[in-house]
Order: sequence, then C-alpha cells, then structure tokens
Amino acid sequence: MTMNFAYYTGCAAQQTQKEADWAAEAVCDELGIKLHRMNKASCCGAVSLRETKPAFALAVAARIFSQAEEMGMDIATICNTCLQTLSQANNRLKNDDDLLDDVNEVLKKSGVAPYKGTIKVKHLAWVMVDEVETDLLKSKITKPLNGLRVAPFYGCHTLRPEEIFEADAGEKAKHLDTLIELMGGNPVSYDGHDKCCGFHVMLSDAQEMRQMVVKNTGSAKDAGADVMITPCTLCDMAMGSYQGIAEKSTGKKVGLPEMNFAQLLGCAMGIDEKKLGINRLHISPRPQLTARGVL
Amino acid sequence: MSDQVYTLRIQRNTRRDDGTMDTKWDEFQVKATPLTPVLNLLEDVKGNQDGSLTFRQSCRSAICGSCAMRIGGKTRLACKTQIGEVVDENNTVQITAQQNSPVIKDLAVDITKFFSKVHQIKPFLQEGSESAEEVDDTAFDQVNHVTQCIMCACCYSDCTMAEVSDEFVGPAALAKAFRFISDPREGKKSDRLKVLSNDHGIWSCARCTMCVAVCPKDVKPMEAIVKLRTRAMDAGNMDNYGAKHAQAFHGDITSSGSLNEALILNRTLGVVGALGEMGAALHLAKKGKIPSPFPHKIENLDEVQAIYNELEKNPLDVETKAENAVPE
Ligand code: SF4
Ligand code: SF4
Ligand code: FES
Repeated sequence: MTMNFAYYTGCAAQQTQKEADWAAEAVCDELGIKLHRMNKASCCGAVSLRETKPAFALAVAARIFSQAEEMGMDIATICNTCLQTLSQANNRLKNDDDLLDDVNEVLKKSGVAPYKGTIKVKHLAWVMVDEVETDLLKSKITKPLNGLRVAPFYGCHTLRPEEIFEADAGEKAKHLDTLIELMGGNPVSYDGHDKCCGFHVMLSDAQEMRQMVVKNTGSAKDAGADVMITPCTLCDMAMGSYQGIAEKSTGKKVGLPEMNFAQLLGCAMGIDEKKLGINRLHISPRPQLTARGVL
Repeated sequence: MSDQVYTLRIQRNTRRDDGTMDTKWDEFQVKATPLTPVLNLLEDVKGNQDGSLTFRQSCRSAICGSCAMRIGGKTRLACKTQIGEVVDENNTVQITAQQNSPVIKDLAVDITKFFSKVHQIKPFLQEGSESAEEVDDTAFDQVNHVTQCIMCACCYSDCTMAEVSDEFVGPAALAKAFRFISDPREGKKSDRLKVLSNDHGIWSCARCTMCVAVCPKDVKPMEAIVKLRTRAMDAGNMDNYGAKHAQAFHGDITSSGSLNEALILNRTLGVVGALGEMGAALHLAKKGKIPSPFPHKIENLDEVQAIYNELEKNPLDVETKAENAVPE
C-alpha cells in the first residue's frame, strides 16, 4: 500500500541542507512512500515567531494544517524544529476549541479554509520505524552497515516536551536506535544523545554554541562512534558543518563524521551516493563506510 | 508488589586537601519494590551498609527541594522518584551529584551559585512608577505555575546552556523573573526587562526544553522565558542579537513565505559582525552551503499577508489568558 504524506521540508532543507531533502526523497522512493510537496506552506517560524508574534505564529501553523487537510494527508517533516513548532501549535489548537475558533476566524477572513483539527504532524524518521513494515525496510537494506558504530543524536525538538508529539518522545524515544539496528549497525550509547546542538544560539552565544558541538560530538567519539546521525537539518548544520569551526575556536579536535539519518539509510539501501549528497558533508564518512563495505 | 534486588551505582566524591576531587564508584545492592522512592534506598544504604554516604534530604515529600541529584542520567528529586521507573534492564541505576554546581561530598553540592543567580534577578517586589493601583482576581493565574517552584535546581543542573556557561542566569531564576514582571504590583517592570535582555539573560537560552522536561513541579521555565522575550521586545529592547534575529522571521514570512537565510547573518550581526563570521561562511561555502539571497516565493503568499494584516489590526491574545498559562 502506498503511503502518502504532505511533505514539509522546512527552510534549511530548501537552502543550505538540500542533501537531507534529496536523501529523504530517494529513500521514500525505494519504500513506495509518496512525499507531496506543500507548495503553499510558509516557514513555520521556528522558535522565533512565537516570541515576536504569538498569534500570527499559531495562525501560520493553522494555515499549514489547513493545506494538509485539503491534500487529505498527515504531515511528515525532516526538521526537528519544524516538528516541535508545528506539534506545539497543533497540540494547542486541538485541545482548546475557543482558541481554534478564534484562529479559524482569522483564516476565514484571509481566504484560507478553516482548520478542522484532523492532522497529525510526524517526523519522517518515526515513519520509517513506526509505519513502514519492518520486513519491507529490511528487504531494502542491500548494503548492511556490518556493525558500524553509529551515534544517534536525537535533537531536543523531537524529544521535548514529550506530551505534544505523536510518537514516543522524551526518555522513551528510541526510533534512531531502532533504525540503526535495522540497518545492521551498532547504536552507540553516549552522554550527548539527547542534548542540544546549540543551533538556536549560534549567533547570540557563538562560543557557548561551539562548546556544545564539541561536547556532544566528543562524547560520541569517546564512546566509540564511527559516525553520528541526526534526524534534523539544523542539528546537521551544527554538529556537521560547524564541527570544524567549533574545533578551531575551542582548540579541541574531534573529527567525527556526521550525516542525516536519511543519508545513512540511503547508503544502507545501496542508493547512489550522488543522489544522497554525501559529497556535501564537511567531514566525510567515506572511510568508515568503505571499511564496512557499505560504499 | 514483591521485593526485587536493585543495584545502586553511586558516585562517591571526596575533596582532597588541594581542592581537587577524588571520585570513585561504589555499588550497593538493596531489596525493594518498584514503587520504593530512591531516597528510601539511599537511607537504607546509609543506615545498613555505609554510614559515610553523604546526601541531602529533609521533607521527603517533594516540597523542600533538597534531594535533587542525577538519577539515571537526569536530575530528579530522590524522594519523588520510584526506583522501578529509572533502572535499566539489569535493575541497576547510576546516581551522581547535580551538575553545574560544585560538589562538596558524594551527592551533596554547594548551592551558592544557583541561589546567587536567583538573587541576581531581585526576587522581590520593587516600588516604582509601574505599580498597578488595582489588582484583579485573575492576575495571579498567569504566574501560578511559576510560583510552584521549590528551588531544587533540577532544571539548572540539566540546563544545556548552564553546562557551557557560568554566566547564564539559568531557568529557575528566569522563571522567577517572569513571576515578578507579570505581577501587577511590581513597580519596575521595564527596568527588569532591560536588564534581562543583556548578555547571558533571556536570549542565551538555547530553547532545548530540557528544563521543562526535568522540573518536578511543572514550572515550565522555558515557557516563561519565551514570554519574557515577547515582553522584552514589546517594551522596545531590540538592541541585542537575540531580538534582532527573532525580528527577522515575520518580515521574511510575509515577504516571501520562507526564511531568507542569506540575509539573517547581516540583519542579526550587522556588517561588521557578519565580516567576523566570514571564516565560518567560507567554511560553509566549500560545500556549496551558502544560501541564495533570493528564496523562492510560496504559492498564495497573499493569504499569509492577509493573516498578518488582520492580526495587526485586531490583535488576538493567545498567551496571557489564564487558561493558557498552564498548558495542561
Ligand atoms: S523550576 Fe522546577 S526544576 Fe527548577 S528549581 Fe524550580 S522546581 Fe526545581
Ligand atoms: S530551555 Fe533554555 S533554560 Fe531551559 S534547559 Fe534549555 S537552555 Fe536551559
Ligand atoms: S526531601 Fe524534600 S524534596 Fe525531596
């Protein structure tokens, strides 16, 4: 059976982190999942819009949900911050009828169909583990990871606050660990797995952010990780693209390859690495993947 | 429920004469049901196995806040945490002292630093020109959940910003600041918002939501920080990176629908600051990761603009109503 999702990539996947988007498409293609782009959807506002314009933030989210209702599909995203922002708004709108009415009034006046409250917001990584048949997923793993030691970095905005999410979150979250096992890898347990990547204070507290990056990647490396995966385009930027910058300013060398979960899954499915944008990664996982016969 | 054997793996800390810490791990086996509070088990160990084990406790009922320690990777109140909830598949749990405060011995920490942060925000009502003459009976609803704070420091111990910054004011102190700023009787609300907008204040929170997850009293410190940011900006405190960055979003969303990542650096840091980040930009450019200054326009952008204009004309209060104060 084909699965269909209203696909909300988030701004980063359209601009700097395109490889996460390419990999998500390629992997879903293999599994017969159809990702329908939400061409009308705006930026979710991330953590900021709620701070500057709280009501506008809710209405913007409701408009995105209304479009998903029009498409008749739940939303799947590949950005943790989009996931948390949309889930938080959805949680409020679904549990407060007066608020939903107020927001729908604004939508109606603006020519947008009111939100009926029927949409679920999901992370694509949850879909892989909770909804795709395990046998189907396993049958697609043609290049198993052969015991590659993979550090799962979950990212705050897919974990907390637990009660707003449509999947196991908080300390109960284990979808990345499960996915790593399904790919034939060895999940590494380490201190930083549920910590903050620092992305949202990259500009206001640059030095502190860089320390977070070095701490998290360092703790994964010390625990024996060959590579790190994250389910979030913003975590990718912080822990991957910024790792070298963080090393320079803290004077600590880590050198841990970091990639999006969909990129590693794509490698394990034997998808051409060009389609997965492996060459766009700042610290190449190629030596580690070649050593295990994955590439 | 029947008794089981649990293993407590406890970090033992002793300060040497030269001030450095001697740290080792001791394991103790205890018998208990899954519902037994961890604090009872620590007392069992102290009374029957090793009288030198040091920890703090007083009320035994999640009121005094003195028994906060790291239990199974998160900071929790030992008296409120049942052993069955925190052990791993081998019925073992690791217990260490709180983070971000210096350890005195074993599981007891020096709480001075945490409380100095609370004192820093002036945790008392001040006289001043902004005191309301009348206080209506809904005024307290908004701060109700914040006043539940028992100053246990669980949030400060697990705060990811506090882990890398001694200067950060921290979640509990900021939640307390919100309590005073929201109090109609407070006379110096603007002064407070100005001070909190300085470095290491409200804008240094990484929005990791860890404090919300670990608080045993459901204070939701980060939610208070979010509201403080809104109020600080509404009061005109825009001259800091955090506010400038936040301000970029509604403009971008109404002008194209997407975030303009290329312009964010410039708008937040200014030209000189952005030049300082040139090294980082070049590093990103190596992999083709410089965003286009012309993000694509979404379809039906006029709807988003209409929503914005409508809300600017007829504002909708979605944050301060009593029923919104405590999300549950
Ligand atoms: S906010 Fe919660 S965790 Fe923090 S000190 Fe207060 S009660 Fe403890
Ligand atoms: S949300 Fe902010 S205050 Fe709370 S733990 Fe994270 S960084 Fe600290
Ligand atoms: S002993 Fe008082 S809070 Fe635990």
